[in-house]
Amino acid sequence: MARHKFHMFPEVDNYRETLEIKRLRVKNILVLIFIIIMMATTVSYMLITGQFNMKTEVIPFIVGYFIVIVLNFTCLAYGGDNYRFYLFNKYLTTIGIFIMSIALVFIFQSPSAITALFIAYAITAFYQDIKGILLSDAFLLFSIVMFMIKYPEFMNMTNTNLENIFGTVIFFVAFVLILTVSSYIIFKQKQFFYNQIALSKEAEYRNIDLLTDLQKTIEGKDVDIDDYYVGLNKFLEAFSQKLGIENAFKDKTAIMLEMEKGANRIQIREKHPELSDNELDSLESLLIGPGRQLRKVAVKMSRSMGLHIKKREIFSETHFKSFNHQSDDEEIRIMAFVVFYVALKRGFIGLPKVGDKEIYNAVVNTDYFYFIDPRVMSIYQKNSEIFATISDDHFGKKGSR
Amino acid sequence: MKQFFRRLMDTEFLPMSEVRKIKVILVMAFLLLIAVLSVPFSIFFTYSLAVKIIVIAALVIGYALMIGLLQLGKILPAIHLSIIYSISLTLFYTQGTSGIYAYLFFYISLTIIIFYQELYSYLLYGTLVTGIGVWYIITHQAALVMATDVPGAIYIYVIILVLFYLIFLIQILYNEKMYTDMNYDWVKINKMVDKYQEDTYIYLDELRKQAKKPALHEDTDFQKAVDELIVFIGEQVKESGKDIVNVFDLYLYIHERGLEKILENEEISVAMKKTANKLDKYLLNRRTDMISMILNFFLQFKKTPEYDPERYQYNLGKLAYDNDGQIIAVAMLFQYLAREVTGKDEWDQVRKVLSLEEIDSLFSSLEAEEFLTSAQVALFKDNYDLFVKYLAKNSERKE
Repeated sequence: MARHKFHMFPEVDNYRETLEIKRLRVKNILVLIFIIIMMATTVSYMLITGQFNMKTEVIPFIVGYFIVIVLNFTCLAYGGDNYRFYLFNKYLTTIGIFIMSIALVFIFQSPSAITALFIAYAITAFYQDIKGILLSDAFLLFSIVMFMIKYPEFMNMTNTNLENIFGTVIFFVAFVLILTVSSYIIFKQKQFFYNQIALSKEAEYRNIDLLTDLQKTIEGKDVDIDDYYVGLNKFLEAFSQKLGIENAFKDKTAIMLEMEKGANRIQIREKHPELSDNELDSLESLLIGPGRQLRKVAVKMSRSMGLHIKKREIFSETHFKSFNHQSDDEEIRIMAFVVFYVALKRGFIGLPKVGDKEIYNAVVNTDYFYFIDPRVMSIYQKNSEIFATISDDHFGKKGSR
Repeated sequence: MKQFFRRLMDTEFLPMSEVRKIKVILVMAFLLLIAVLSVPFSIFFTYSLAVKIIVIAALVIGYALMIGLLQLGKILPAIHLSIIYSISLTLFYTQGTSGIYAYLFFYISLTIIIFYQELYSYLLYGTLVTGIGVWYIITHQAALVMATDVPGAIYIYVIILVLFYLIFLIQILYNEKMYTDMNYDWVKINKMVDKYQEDTYIYLDELRKQAKKPALHEDTDFQKAVDELIVFIGEQVKESGKDIVNVFDLYLYIHERGLEKILENEEISVAMKKTANKLDKYLLNRRTDMISMILNFFLQFKKTPEYDPERYQYNLGKLAYDNDGQIIAVAMLFQYLAREVTGKDEWDQVRKVLSLEEIDSLFSSLEAEEFLTSAQVALFKDNYDLFVKYLAKNSERKE
């Protein structure tokens, strides 16, 4: 069995990344604010106590922080154009904060400063990024081991008893472990939402297409493209007259009609070299033919009227569709999966025909794996051929549809 | 165990209730480790032997209680108990020894509370732990501060603990806001998808009727195949598949009679009514969760254009490149709505073209903000007569 599960719609991975990037800027800004607060607090303390050497301790410390902050601002500025700067900033800042925290321990030489490493971890945990978590873990463990072995005096561990040494080692490791697991689960929780939104977005996209296709099958015809453009041209002519301007839409609607009739991008570019790619993309998205974006907007808008969401619905899981609801009895979970499986095998008029192998792969290797009771899934995986044979006995190899 | 780790690795596929359960199990494993360690460590603690025995016995009982709650599926009480358990361990260590490692327990407890990502739990227990931590630092200065320490070292301890608490408080608040927004989007899209699938179901049913085929739940081949597979699984999971066959019989009966009539029937037992209620979401004679999952399954095999960043862009203001494009977009949208079948008639069939009044109220509604800019709505309002005259279907045009 494949260990790694795939999403039922491959587009989910792309959109999940878009969602991640959308929130990355806010996270970067929040982390930057924390860094500034951390710097201001530490430098103020150093200046107020007057116990630290200005040239060798305070100024280098300020310069170090200044570099981290400037790099943050730079990445934030360029991140708008290229999101990779935001990603780069996560790792750069993680390294920067830990270096500054380790430097703080060296300057203070106090067990109280060791806990600044926890603050560094807390700040970098904000990114909720798995590579960032591993980087923070590596820094935290490396610095704690280093201070314990090479600089035990920083941790008040010279001339101390076995209880303290073992206690400190064990509970430091335990703390790092629970922090890591916590960050990992928080990261996965975030991924769950990104996955679900991306899945629903793609499901919506495909459902609109299916609805349009079925409507066409039932009605036996699609929209009358020529009639749409006759109406559109008349409207635009009248609209221009009303404003007292020349009709500047003619060329665009003519190009749109060519596109509707199947002219490809190369042909259009040859005939209209004055149009940029952006303009052509934009005109293409305004077409009304099957599968076009504007058609999807119209279908979606027509169904959006009266859509109300209650507050309690936001936090309810009832909209999470699955055959593995813990509130259902085992008998129901088994029956639900069997009904689902047999329905797939039987097929539906109007939906594509799906073979045994495709059913098995989609059930076992995609999100559907988690929608099914683990015990039922295990039985299905071991006996998929028996499942297929029993169904075929009733529907035949091709399904009854 | 193997299955648990697999689920842990794939947590992003699991709903929140499942993740909560995994979290409790992980915290319990961690607490078990610390509780076991507290036996050898208690040798060094300053408590009397009787106190040590009582506390360790209480820890064992507390742990058994957590297991019980987990077994009963009472996840939220188990979460609270595990937090209280970790705070108790913190108090046991910090009051029993002046070793610096005891101070770490405040961070460990906070991390356990953070782990659950529940705002109110964090505000209640997190604040409590931070408060006790600050009190501990102030009352145990001798154990924490070295003779040669930096001035005001004790305040550094306090500030760092409070900062740790505050940073995670902000993180939880941020996550709470993010999850609420994402949940809202998710519910909204799901509701829209349900609406499309309601219409899709109507079309599929019409195609089935045209082909003179029985409805799925009325198809005897379908019923027999389900029956046999149920018995097959049932025999492996239970002693017999009879219980599941009974559930399936009830399932078919609901299709025949309707859920409401079954719930109203006084002769049917409460247990059966409860089962019937749970089965409702899996029915096949209207759009239900079952139908949605079947449709989405088939949609995996539907060919679609390659992904591009504008794939889910439904705002005409953003789709259109310039002002001319925006005007054309509104005109095309209006034409589609005014000419094509998109609404349901009085028999709940998708056979109706929206009336001009309906389109007008759609353009004026709050929902329109998702699709149109305010300039586009204004364009429609200002030129309504032109829209109707040239773009509405022939019967509605005012020539």
